[in-house]
Amino acid sequence: MKAAVHSQAMHFQARAGVQVANKGLQKALEKAKPLFVGKRAKGIAGLAEDGLGFEELRSTCEAIRRRVVDDLDVWLEIFEERARASGAEVLWARDGDEIRRHVIDIARRHGVTKAVKSKSMLSEEARLNEALSAAGIRPVETDLGEYIIQLAGEAPSHIIAPAVHKTIGEVEALFAKEHGRPAGTRTSADIPAMAREARAVLRQHFLSAEMGISGANFLIAESGSAALVTNEGNGRMVTTLPRVHVVITGIEKIVPTLEDFATLMRLLPRSATGQSISNYVSLLTGTRGANETEGPEKTVFILVDNGRAALAGSDFSDMLRCIRCGACMNHCPVYFSLGGHAYGWVYPGPMGSVLTPLYTGIENALDLPHASTGCNQCGSVCPVNIPLPALMHRLREIQDERGLRPRHERFALRAWGWLAARPGLYRLLTRRAARYLRWLADDSGRIRVLGLAPGWSDGRDLPAPPGQTFHELYAARKRA
Amino acid sequence: MSAREEILQRVRAGLGKGDAAARRAAAEACMSNPARGPQPQLAGDRVARFAGKALSLASSAERVGCAMEVPAAVARYLAEHCLPSQAVATGDVADLDWIGAGIEVATRVAVDADQTGISGCFCAIAETGTLLLLSGPQTPASVSLLPETHIAVVPVGRIVATMEDAFALLRAEHGGLPRAVNFISGPSRTGDIEQTIVLGAHGPCRVHLILCGESS
Repeated sequence: MKAAVHSQAMHFQARAGVQVANKGLQKALEKAKPLFVGKRAKGIAGLAEDGLGFEELRSTCEAIRRRVVDDLDVWLEIFEERARASGAEVLWARDGDEIRRHVIDIARRHGVTKAVKSKSMLSEEARLNEALSAAGIRPVETDLGEYIIQLAGEAPSHIIAPAVHKTIGEVEALFAKEHGRPAGTRTSADIPAMAREARAVLRQHFLSAEMGISGANFLIAESGSAALVTNEGNGRMVTTLPRVHVVITGIEKIVPTLEDFATLMRLLPRSATGQSISNYVSLLTGTRGANETEGPEKTVFILVDNGRAALAGSDFSDMLRCIRCGACMNHCPVYFSLGGHAYGWVYPGPMGSVLTPLYTGIENALDLPHASTGCNQCGSVCPVNIPLPALMHRLREIQDERGLRPRHERFALRAWGWLAARPGLYRLLTRRAARYLRWLADDSGRIRVLGLAPGWSDGRDLPAPPGQTFHELYAARKRA
Repeated sequence: MSAREEILQRVRAGLGKGDAAARRAAAEACMSNPARGPQPQLAGDRVARFAGKALSLASSAERVGCAMEVPAAVARYLAEHCLPSQAVATGDVADLDWIGAGIEVATRVAVDADQTGISGCFCAIAETGTLLLLSGPQTPASVSLLPETHIAVVPVGRIVATMEDAFALLRAEHGGLPRAVNFISGPSRTGDIEQTIVLGAHGPCRVHLILCGESS
């Protein structure tokens, strides 16, 4: 599959090491985590004021998304018909290559020299900016976070806070260079002025670009519309001012009705940023009307597969429900130790650990399904109930079935299986191991250096087990 | 094979379901009788709820008796904020007596130089303190987007409880959706530099609501 060409997911372990040692990144993550977790918790708690319950809402959201995923072919046809009836054009793309070809083709047909973009993860999947630049069309990211990382020449490290890894000093250096002024020393008090500076620069781009490119948070089947959720207002600019609007979106993003959309909107912003609603929510249908003097004259939807269709009806179809809120990464201990870049492709965190292997090839992202503590924080906050740890577990099984695990690991697991099938021998050996681990511990009950695997205890201590096996303790309790 | 056919075939093969006609009929039925999810129980007065939520989202609000009092309220707001007495406005509020209040109003699409945009709204939503604006020849979306200050006139009789109620009203009064349905909840904001919230990212820095009339 094409996407694997630019995935760095096979270098997860090496990249993880680099990120752990990156002090600026660790500082940024340390600052962000309590904010992300605290804001969501407050937002979800606020539901009770109106007599709403999280569990009831999320099972409704799950059911809405299941209805679409279970009959995806039918919903796609309905959406396509209604979007066309409203005056939009609908194109299909098998992969990133086809996305790039479609967009460049539309741009050329309409004499486009500059495209303003509202955040689209599909455009990252296709590496669209590179292709546009190569074709002589200037792409300008307008979400402030995306703008920052475009200036830095980097990829987003979070799906809703793309520049979460950047410190204020780094942002200042990028702005000074791009905006042609000397760099100063900046503190948090200067953030409003920096946002204002970006606003002034980007405003001129909004006014001069001939094409707007956006994603869609949802596609509404009933009306053939794209739903766009933003706080900055850049989504509205991109879909109001340029004369051409291109929506690039995954085939799984459909919801049946406006009522379903309203239900999902009670959980999407709360799960993402803790807001009861995002500042701007737009439903965009068709093109500029007969007597209108603004709005795009041409609207094109590009419906993208890039690995999604293969998940329909598979062990991983749960993943097609994902609404891209980012709650799973915001609550993931692995994500907050490493940041998003360690994951090596477009989607980080638990959802990325499932999607990257599925979209870029299981053999191209062997570490990701193992980048989990199995704590299920991600599953417990997911607004559409995706069992993320179970999906990672299934990916690990497939790796084993396909012989993709290292030989020593496969040998060790076979040896364990052989041993576990022989209870007498198993008990004898585990008794010995329990005594040995107890003996290794120091006075405080911690093992500082793990005898047979000293590397494991390089950065942490192991709490010593009680010196008896589970079987022994269980038998003792039964006697008592 | 076209990309469309290939993608749809992959999906169908994965789902392994037959009887496309029956599944299509079920989908159509789901759309023609749209079901609501769990609905919030809003305690207290709907207007107070709307205003309270809007204030919590960093909008400001003022209540006046009737629509005729709106231009004077706008003039006071502009003077208080040292804003010029010119504004761009949408057609749905153009008939108010702006000249009488000393405000020069242009009814057109907004441009970059406009400092204040005045709009009406299709309706407003109490649950989240949200305005719902529809785009149209008389109501260009840029008026509530480009100027730094957006002043919206909200007839309190048009405040509904939820987004679902707003959609019901839209279906009843318009049938389908216009090109753009914009839900606006306070001034534009960003948190992309060190997670610090700043108002006025790309859209208005200030949203002022003038509530008028009697509750329905």
